[in-house]
Amino acid sequence: MLEIDHLVTGYNGVPVLHDVSIKLAAGEIVGLLGANNAGKTTLINSLSGMYAPISGRILFEGRDVTALTPRQRVELGIVQVPEGRLVFPEMSVRENLLLGGINSRARTHRSRQMDVVLDLFPRLRERLPQNAGTLSGGEQQMLAIGRALMAEAKLLMLDEPSLGLSPLFVQYIFEIIDRLHATGLSILLIEQNLNLTLRHAQRCYVLERGKIAVEGASDVIKDDPRTRRAYLGL
Amino acid sequence: MTEFLQAMAQGLLIGSTYGLLALGMGLVYGVSGVVNFSHGDFISLGMFLCLALYSALALDPYVSLIVTVPVMTIAGGLVYWYLIRPMVGHQFLMVVQLTLGLSLVLQNGILMVFGGQPARTPSVVESKLWILGDVVVRVPHVIAFVISFAMAIGLYIMLRSTDFGRSIRAVHQNAHAAALMGVDVGRVQTLTFALGIGILAIAAALLLPGTPIQPSQGLRYTVITLIVVALGGMTNFVGIMLGGLIIGLSEAYGTIYLSDTMGMLLPYGIFVLIMLFRPQGLTWSSAR
Amino acid sequence: MRPEFYKTLLSPVWLAILLLAAVLPPLLPSYYLHIIILSLVYVALASAWNIVGGMAGQISLAHSLFIGVGAMFSSALLLKLGINMWLGLLISALISGVLGAVIAWIDFRFRLGHLSFVLITLAFAEMGTVVAEGWDFLGGASGLLLPRDTGNFLAFQFGGGIGAFWVMLVLAVASILINVAILNAPLGYYLRTIRDNENAARAIGVDILRYKVAAMVISAMLSSVIGTAYVRYLTFADPYLLVSPIIIIEIVLFATVGGLGRAYGPAFGALLLVPLGEILRGKLGGTLPGLHYFIYGVVVIAVILITPRGLLPLFETWWARWRRTGAVPK
Repeated sequence: MLEIDHLVTGYNGVPVLHDVSIKLAAGEIVGLLGANNAGKTTLINSLSGMYAPISGRILFEGRDVTALTPRQRVELGIVQVPEGRLVFPEMSVRENLLLGGINSRARTHRSRQMDVVLDLFPRLRERLPQNAGTLSGGEQQMLAIGRALMAEAKLLMLDEPSLGLSPLFVQYIFEIIDRLHATGLSILLIEQNLNLTLRHAQRCYVLERGKIAVEGASDVIKDDPRTRRAYLGL
Repeated sequence: MTEFLQAMAQGLLIGSTYGLLALGMGLVYGVSGVVNFSHGDFISLGMFLCLALYSALALDPYVSLIVTVPVMTIAGGLVYWYLIRPMVGHQFLMVVQLTLGLSLVLQNGILMVFGGQPARTPSVVESKLWILGDVVVRVPHVIAFVISFAMAIGLYIMLRSTDFGRSIRAVHQNAHAAALMGVDVGRVQTLTFALGIGILAIAAALLLPGTPIQPSQGLRYTVITLIVVALGGMTNFVGIMLGGLIIGLSEAYGTIYLSDTMGMLLPYGIFVLIMLFRPQGLTWSSAR
Repeated sequence: MRPEFYKTLLSPVWLAILLLAAVLPPLLPSYYLHIIILSLVYVALASAWNIVGGMAGQISLAHSLFIGVGAMFSSALLLKLGINMWLGLLISALISGVLGAVIAWIDFRFRLGHLSFVLITLAFAEMGTVVAEGWDFLGGASGLLLPRDTGNFLAFQFGGGIGAFWVMLVLAVASILINVAILNAPLGYYLRTIRDNENAARAIGVDILRYKVAAMVISAMLSSVIGTAYVRYLTFADPYLLVSPIIIIEIVLFATVGGLGRAYGPAFGALLLVPLGEILRGKLGGTLPGLHYFIYGVVVIAVILITPRGLLPLFETWWARWRRTGAVPK
């Protein structure tokens, strides 16, 4: 479903990602691991259309989307849950969710989708009129995921969903990820948490200084010493 | 005492329109981080367009709105798209200088077409007066008050209840996240700027009856708008409307009780006092 | 003082300028000489403003006050009290310095935001205009006419034309060199820290008040001195020119378009825009009113769209490419 082909991306002409190639089949959960500054967020933002690549292609459902704007990518179903949640602090939970469903594909059945999202996250239903900035970290994470789901994602990309959350919440979020996967949603998961990712994602790529250092099925690469080495940035 | 009430009435009525002017600027600033220093010259443009339509078709300024609002809104969109949008990401002061260049172009374009002599645009309501007790108010001021507040309320509702309004607020609060949700940030910024200019077209018609206009007046309106926006903490709705009323009142009291030149300084003085002792403006939070 | 400062003093660029300056002026017709002198005045003023506006990041519109004091007050001292203009220059500079210190203190004490600072300095500038136009001592609305310039140097006279050219050149060069000096001294470092993140600077213990005041005082006194020299050249002290906010708005335009915060940036802006403005006014001012300013505005917009980072960075790119390839790029 998603194919990244020899992508080279950077800022001001300085490449951050060097010749990255990744494949994701429909319905898969694929993990993207790596130390800080390995280029994970740059990669996910490239998928969202925030940077024009220096070279390489991105194919989604067989279509070359490399030149598409961020808005066009969301319309196609490529949706990101950004690192740090980035909810709209002075908008209510309800308004955040409504905004999530603003793209033309999702707008037609927004109220139905909101019910689905609120069923998935009952805690949010309690907090509907509250300003998102007053929510706890875990609740904001729920809201961020819910907001992305409102966009009718076909490919959901999560950037460090466990960041700053208590272990209980992390477990809860990953249960949600599993549930979403069970509905057939394709998921790209960026995480610092090595073990969690290897457990929930079927296949993983390990990014090291902008290059793919290791790739393969999770239970195969988890014993590979290269994985831990690349991950620890050694 | 009558004079006092008279000044208060006039100040409140005009101040509401100042507030409206500042809302337009505040919206644009919140969404694209741009302060348009040709703001007052667009008001001037609106006024002179009304004058032109009166000369050509004998249209009353309030009626000319049918033409001026769409024309100026589209012009605003084009200006933003071709002149300001390419400057996104560049130094704030450089964008300001570009708008100053635009101010020169507008001001002198008007001068070239209309000449420099002050001109009046007659309106049917121009000399009508309302008498409330001891106070005499001019009908154009009352119309300005009502429409300004109506528009402020309308803007507020738009921001709260429509998708466009929500996308404006989202871009203001976190443009990156808004883009990730599929909001076309550039389009929102362009439309907001166009909306701001459209508001100026309306405000121009409101301020026009009974006022002689000349091409060089733009700067005065720009400075008044800047003062009101600063008082309102840049983007706070209520703060801005309140600031508008305060400046309107200071101007009215200044010109009635003090000499003309000192009267024009009173709004500045009030502004300086407020900002010195309350740098966050007329907003509620202590953060800036 | 970093060694870069001394290296700059000796660079071939300055020597070339000095050479040109020695040779050129006698050859030029007085109209073009006038334009060059005017350009140098604004190079000096814009560079002086740059210390506060570019390096410290404080967009001050109060500089019309300092220029006005330098021009009007020293003229009044001469005409009304018979005080030699050299002394008047000193007194005006001191007054401007004090005014500048007060404004900087207000900014610090009341923790003004950027827009507030701009508007409050504008308020000061407007108040200054009201004072200048209302106070007879300063000539009121009709201004002051200085005695004819007969070249008596002790009486602060330069003999118009070439004499004025040399004075303005010295002031322009001095103003730029002061920029270079500050940028290479601890003061420049602190100012840039304050500009880029005042809260962080405060957190690491930078004495914000001291450096803001220092920058403003230097800038104010320099502007005042230039104002005094300028009014001598003009011979007529016109409050509408010298005290109104228009002059500072132009200065900010030159400094920004040229390259804010850089030592040579404002010079580029002034050297492009002042001659442009004068030539447009000369050729078109008599025809349709407003036409020359209209075109000027269009040019400003075009220049900014073409070089949004400023003229100096563009020039540096060209210069670097020329030195590498020997060809000027398109």
